[in-house]
Amino acid sequence: MVKLFPLKNIFDNSMKGAKIKTLIWIYIFLLPSVAIFLSFYLVPIVTVAFTSFTKWDGFNRPQFIGLSNFIKLFNTSVFYESLFNLLGWSLIAATLHVGFGVLVAFVLYKKPFGWKFTRAVFMVPNVISVAAWAMIYKYFFRNDIGILNTFLRLFNPNININWFFEAPYAFWAITLTWLFYAVVVTLLVMGDLMAIPESVREGAIIDGANALQMAWYIDLPLCRNAIGVGVICSITARIAMYEAIYLTTNGAGNTMNLPVILVRSIMDGNYGFANACAVIMLIVGVLTLWVVDKAFKMDEKIY
Amino acid sequence: MIDIVKKILGKVFMYSVIIFTITVSIFPILWIIMSSFKTNGEIMSGPFTLPSSIDFRAYKYLFEKYDFLTYTFNSVLISFLPTFLSLIFYTMGAYVIAKYDFPGKKLFFTLFTMTLLVPVHSRTQPIFSLIVGLDLYNTKTGLMLVYLSTGLALSMFILKNTFQSIPMELTESANLDGAGFWRTFLSINLPLARTGMITAGVLMFLTNWNEFYYANLLISTSNNRTLPVITILFNSMFTYNYTNTFAALVVVVIPGIIFYAFAQRYVQESMASAAIKG
Repeated sequence: MVKLFPLKNIFDNSMKGAKIKTLIWIYIFLLPSVAIFLSFYLVPIVTVAFTSFTKWDGFNRPQFIGLSNFIKLFNTSVFYESLFNLLGWSLIAATLHVGFGVLVAFVLYKKPFGWKFTRAVFMVPNVISVAAWAMIYKYFFRNDIGILNTFLRLFNPNININWFFEAPYAFWAITLTWLFYAVVVTLLVMGDLMAIPESVREGAIIDGANALQMAWYIDLPLCRNAIGVGVICSITARIAMYEAIYLTTNGAGNTMNLPVILVRSIMDGNYGFANACAVIMLIVGVLTLWVVDKAFKMDEKIY
Repeated sequence: MIDIVKKILGKVFMYSVIIFTITVSIFPILWIIMSSFKTNGEIMSGPFTLPSSIDFRAYKYLFEKYDFLTYTFNSVLISFLPTFLSLIFYTMGAYVIAKYDFPGKKLFFTLFTMTLLVPVHSRTQPIFSLIVGLDLYNTKTGLMLVYLSTGLALSMFILKNTFQSIPMELTESANLDGAGFWRTFLSINLPLARTGMITAGVLMFLTNWNEFYYANLLISTSNNRTLPVITILFNSMFTYNYTNTFAALVVVVIPGIIFYAFAQRYVQESMASAAIKG
């Protein structure tokens, strides 16, 4: 670290001049990032927080109306539908989705034939547009030309499920658009697996542990940081899930989510109400982080 | 005997997981590629059948009748330019945070990385109003401005780690040799930060290339549209022409995959970068 403070040679004017010049350059270098932070993060968040307590159409001055937006939100049935869906999706994300990612990580870690190829291919769904992916799945699940129903008809010729339109199925159809794509979890867990000291494993082998016991009692607990981060990432993605819903069901068939309510309110010019929704999203996000952090004891050192 | 059975079962299980993973990852893409070569009738008759012939008629149609060249150009411009600019900005910021001590250093870094916790959609209204207020609604400039903020947290994080991994002695000896702030930055540290910069750049480029939400919200006429937004419009435009719809999807999906194929190492690093954070 180049120490600028304290200025040791305070009487040496040339040195002092150079240091002040450096200090000026430092802040000039920070300036663009700070400007982006202010205009696209800090000011928006402060605006959202304040105007969530107002009635605002974006043109006239915001009118302070206290908690009315929140009360209105809490009195709509779509809000509870969204929360209920979010809870369901979060539970699925934290268990099945992350679980699948961990499973793939444990398998690939053994370096079976083709593991590098598998890792590379597993990433493909994550590098293409969520919007395109949602569209692909929309066709995948179509009753007439889709793959899924054609496949199911092999077993029961009378199947005619409109996956993205009917209530119990739409939730699961949306779930399937992301359920197996857990490559981030896989990469995180593989990173942690590789960091486990050889001595820990050797000790377990001497104690007579078999492969499964080793995975369950040694590897899995030592990967809890990666799994925790994976759970946080996947739940955060559920809170922000918009494209997968907007492009398939658009909220029909009991598949509402908070961002869909938010965008609709903006389109209707209810900015205050939209921002109340945004505040709820922020709070849910921070709560998730806090709960998962505590649950996985992520603040404690592992080794 | 039991050991051998166990071993075989273990192998069978492992390879089942591998085959399943590969299938769910690429089968949907192979399916749309295959369908884009089929005629409408062939698509209607069954999703598993192979196309009778490989011809690029649907693709030719898209580029000739629907100006896909413009959308492709828009997408390239709108994702590349902001990535390039914010990469320069974030590199500058991360550099001083990693290499110098100054008042506010910790605060700035904490604030920058905390933005990771803010859901994209929660900032919608202020950003929408900002762009409308600047009279940039339905312009490429407006969308590019918003894309400047892509990946602030993760890029800062990746770049700061990169600069921190460059030995401090290099900077110190350059200072002793009388190199000023700029010389130390440009000729000592920057060349050694290449990998980190590419990683952050790849991450931001892919995010912008695939971005749908703001591209859909801030653009209203087709001459300014990007590829991901066009997919949804096609869905309604070609209601009964599935061949064209599938071909359009392929055009959106393939460039990302090709880009990934070339930058695989960096994509993996950028995706796993959240790990260091945890």
